[in-house]
Amino acid sequence: MVGLPLNLVRGSSSNRDGGHMSYFGEVDVGSTFQPFTAFCEHFGFVPSLFRAQTLLPRVIRADAALISPILFTNQALSRAQKECILFALAAANDNAYCSNLHYQTLKLLGATEESLDRIVADYRQADLAPTTKAVLKLTLKLGTSEHSFSTQDLREASSQGLADECLLEAILTAALSRLLCALSIGVGAVSDFAPRAAPPATHALSLCSDFFPAAGEKLGFNLHAPELSPDDFAPFAFLRDQFGFVPSVFCAQTLRPTILEAEACAIQFVLLPEDALTRAQKERILLGASQAKLAKSDRALLSFAEKLEAADPEFSKSDIQTLQENGFNEKQILEAVVTTSLACFFNVLQVGLGAAPDFPAPWAGKRKRDAKKAHLSSSDQRHTYVAQPIDPDAECVARVLGGDLGSFEELMNRHSQRVYRTLVGILGNPDEARDAMQDTFLKAFQHLAGFEGRARFSTWLVSITTNTAIQRLRERRQMESLDETFDEQFRPREVQAWTDDPERLYSRAEMRSLIENGVMRLPAKYRVVLILLDLEQLPLEEAAAALGLGIPAIKARRLRGRLMLREALAPHFIQPERKGTKGVTI
Amino acid sequence: MINCADFVAELDNYLDGDVAAAVRVQLEHHIAHCKTCTVLVDSTRKTLKILTENGLFDLPREAFEPIAEEIMARVRTKEK
Repeated sequence: MVGLPLNLVRGSSSNRDGGHMSYFGEVDVGSTFQPFTAFCEHFGFVPSLFRAQTLLPRVIRADAALISPILFTNQALSRAQKECILFALAAANDNAYCSNLHYQTLKLLGATEESLDRIVADYRQADLAPTTKAVLKLTLKLGTSEHSFSTQDLREASSQGLADECLLEAILTAALSRLLCALSIGVGAVSDFAPRAAPPATHALSLCSDFFPAAGEKLGFNLHAPELSPDDFAPFAFLRDQFGFVPSVFCAQTLRPTILEAEACAIQFVLLPEDALTRAQKERILLGASQAKLAKSDRALLSFAEKLEAADPEFSKSDIQTLQENGFNEKQILEAVVTTSLACFFNVLQVGLGAAPDFPAPWAGKRKRDAKKAHLSSSDQRHTYVAQPIDPDAECVARVLGGDLGSFEELMNRHSQRVYRTLVGILGNPDEARDAMQDTFLKAFQHLAGFEGRARFSTWLVSITTNTAIQRLRERRQMESLDETFDEQFRPREVQAWTDDPERLYSRAEMRSLIENGVMRLPAKYRVVLILLDLEQLPLEEAAAALGLGIPAIKARRLRGRLMLREALAPHFIQPERKGTKGVTI
Repeated sequence: MINCADFVAELDNYLDGDVAAAVRVQLEHHIAHCKTCTVLVDSTRKTLKILTENGLFDLPREAFEPIAEEIMARVRTKEK
């Protein structure tokens, strides 16, 4: 942890913007409130952004849970580098409160006013290390024009010597910037310092026009992400319990387990308690639900969240009043602000990490952008990452959410084979798979209200299916893990030529029995991949997202599974006159 | 020059036609001279064909109907 000298700066009311208060009342949380102690240590005082949330101390705990591991530690990036990212992004997004906060913090860390002004004007001319410039280039792109952000941007940063750990921290810091900016707008944070004249931005962000989208880039984690299992890693177990599966945005951050712990902790503080908004209301904000079929007050709540997420310059106290007129009290509105800010955080992470959208970005594509900043000729032409597939189940899902239960039966009919095969693939037992179908579809029905996103319904359903099956494996304590690392070496031994037309050797029923037996004898981790990819023909990215795997990992399993099945079938199909030769070590 | 292990590492991509032209040339040069890898390619391709064309793990309609009825009964109970 890196602290700042105490009492060097302070957020006195005399420095506030004309003595105005934020939109929410402040209450005394005591002198030993741990998050405030941490903020004092690392900012030198408690910024008004956090004091404005004291009506709900638990949400400040959520803020602190995220900020501490992301910002207050020197790891791949230093605190100063991360403050630099936060400062540049806040300035680029015209957020006066946050740019002032980070400006003052950087001064305390030793930066001169001149150097900071140069960062805003054009960071390329600033006296910064090449790696810091590379990180700024990356995060400015992610934080100001995420729709054109692509793996090409990461590759370029990588080519300048930034390791995956650096890139992950940079992306997390950009996400944190979005969270802090949304919070400051939503709570109406008043400046902790006297206003300063900002230099004209001529502007570093014009660099965004240097980038071109890599059309057709596939989804998949952009950074190395070692596998973690919900069975061994508590935050993943928590997320699986809450969402029915581990959303891929979390699977993509396994390089930093402490961050995942912090994110799970923040979700726990914000999502679970129902002393202000209900869990359903918060899930709708977090998952970007549609306003259709909602009561008037809940529609107003989502409109409020949408406006805040878009950093609409017209967002003001009148938006708070609109919610009050719809029956929401101060605590509920504060929680709406915090939940929206959390959604913003995950939105940036999802884009930056290339996580498949099973945890959809709220109101994707609607975010209002200042075209002058990003120099985009047409945002529609530049969408690269969010290649939104048409979901053939979308209408049916909407009908179910509208109360038409018959449409749920239709969804079951459409997907029963896929669900069954996935369950067979993991459980290795057709009878148990039939039994588990009931759990799977009931869970899907139960969580359907939180689904409305950009992920395909089929992908989402396969994720639920997978997790239902894994849960069963755990309950029966059959430790056939889907996550363990590869066996030492797999050496194909049956390398004798096969007969030209294997299917003429057996009847169709015999053939089916042979192959089904071969598939069932595969270890579960290969069996399920083969079933999803080769039998169900699920796109690679969707199967990877459903199983919480990265693309390289799922491809490795597919190869191993295919070779093992080939090995198992070989004795039935080899030409009897041929003799084997050597094996091949993979 | 690539060896058998290199070839096997690229086998999936090769079968799926997902390799760059330069890599494909090297892979094909290898199998032209390696009987073992020729067998691997041929037998893996046949494995995939019989895996995908035999209607594996089908759940018969009559087996699914009672399951669906039970699920819908519970769904309707939850909605009440």
